[in-house]
Amino acid sequence: MLEYRNVHKSFDAGAGPLPVIKDFTMTIREGEFIVLLGPSGCGKSTLLRITAGLEPTSMGEVLIGGRPPDLRRRHRLGFVFQEPALMPWRDLVSNVTLGLEIRGVPKAERERQAGELLGLLGLKGFERYYPHQVSGGMKHRVAIARAYIVDPIILLMDEPFVALDAQTRESLQRDLQDLWQRRKKTVIFVTHNLEEAILIGTRIVVLSSRPATVLLDCKVELPMPRDPVSREFVALRQELRGLLV
Amino acid sequence: MAKMREAEPVVEIGEMTAAVSRERVQKLSRDRRRVIGFNSLSLLLFVLLWEGSSRLLHSVFFPGPLVVSRTFVVLLVEGDIQGYTLPYHAYVSLYRVLLGFGAACLTAIPLGIILGLWRPVYFGTRVVSEPLRFIPPLAWIPMAILFFSGLGRYVFLIWVGVFFPLFILTMNGVSTASPTFVDVARVLGASRSFIALRIIIPNALPQIVGAMRAVMSPAWMCIVAAEMVAAELVGLGQLINNYATLLRMDIVIVGMISIGILGLLLNEAFMAVERTLFRYRQEVKV
Repeated sequence: MLEYRNVHKSFDAGAGPLPVIKDFTMTIREGEFIVLLGPSGCGKSTLLRITAGLEPTSMGEVLIGGRPPDLRRRHRLGFVFQEPALMPWRDLVSNVTLGLEIRGVPKAERERQAGELLGLLGLKGFERYYPHQVSGGMKHRVAIARAYIVDPIILLMDEPFVALDAQTRESLQRDLQDLWQRRKKTVIFVTHNLEEAILIGTRIVVLSSRPATVLLDCKVELPMPRDPVSREFVALRQELRGLLV
Repeated sequence: MAKMREAEPVVEIGEMTAAVSRERVQKLSRDRRRVIGFNSLSLLLFVLLWEGSSRLLHSVFFPGPLVVSRTFVVLLVEGDIQGYTLPYHAYVSLYRVLLGFGAACLTAIPLGIILGLWRPVYFGTRVVSEPLRFIPPLAWIPMAILFFSGLGRYVFLIWVGVFFPLFILTMNGVSTASPTFVDVARVLGASRSFIALRIIIPNALPQIVGAMRAVMSPAWMCIVAAEMVAAELVGLGQLINNYATLLRMDIVIVGMISIGILGLLLNEAFMAVERTLFRYRQEVKV
């Protein structure tokens, strides 16, 4: 379980503190696919970084299974950043196995697990390719596999598909959904795209612009995989859009 | 209703990349031929310009390429007055350069890596390192003459000239590592040493090797200067110096050209190493 208790965060921005997150409180149950939806620059990324332990809170606390995030404890978090950030000197497999390497898993076992994940993400046969040899969409798949391989209790995704073209984006959304169905994780997925939010989330949390506060918190109970032109989908989209403007 | 276009044949992605790389190879060889062509042309132009201006000047102190190439052959085969051939001079200088360069690499690169990881140490020692950095290597010659002799003197002078640029470039390469790479590793639970050894250093490696290549030119500058002041018989700098006093400008020019050619060869060798080691960087540019 993941809990946010009155989280505040402000940055020092020359002319006094700049509040980014204001009194954010939320409880996330295991296996939920949360989509954080909000305008660009509203503090969504900061919230993810706080959850991962990459940034401290200014006030309030984040509890993962009752304990605050601590990078040194290797609490099995997956983080997919906006850019795939693959290391160019590592081939795709070694990029995926980074987390296992850090944990000292033997090479054969690492590669077996990576091969399996790459297969699930449609990258079979590309194991020994280097990042510069594959497309943008493939790089993002590798970044997802790299986060997934440590069997994270929470998977944090920071607008991972924002730089992709519509088609690639759609196929990645589908594959992520697929992967999630097979290996359920608690996911927090940040986006500013309403359609994407409804397509993949089981719960949508709408944030206001900076400083971020919760505007709306709703469950999406449409069956997966979702059809973006179905009546229910469109109705929900209209409703949310109404709330957003 | 408009007739639908027939579906394109499905191509395996693997095949597609193969086709793309075939095309790329063809394009590369075409570019390569063009580069060689242009270089031959500019070399020819340079030689013509040189010959023309030497004829125009008509001075015994400015021999043209014809005279110089004759001298070149003589030096190559028979050697100078003392009987040392040009390859021997070149070998001696190259040996000295590589020793000094090696000494500089062994000291400047580790130090640059350490201070790149620990910037506060660098900022805390700047008052010492910055003034030292600005002392030209040639200003160290008196000290070198007093405290070193023979090979040690040359190694020291080259080291002095190469150490600082190499150190600064290495440190910058290390300290500009992509923050996202570091975050990726941190979230996965990497220790500081893992991040330093497996993320930051490999990431900086292309810049470090590039820096090694870049400092070859100050290394040559130092060896020639050092050889000129030392009372030795061999070395390209010495060859230039000795024959300058005899006003044998053809031999002086042969020495100059030899340095240039050696520099070019070393540079090309380094670039070849970089191309194979960092293929991932190269192909991005193509």
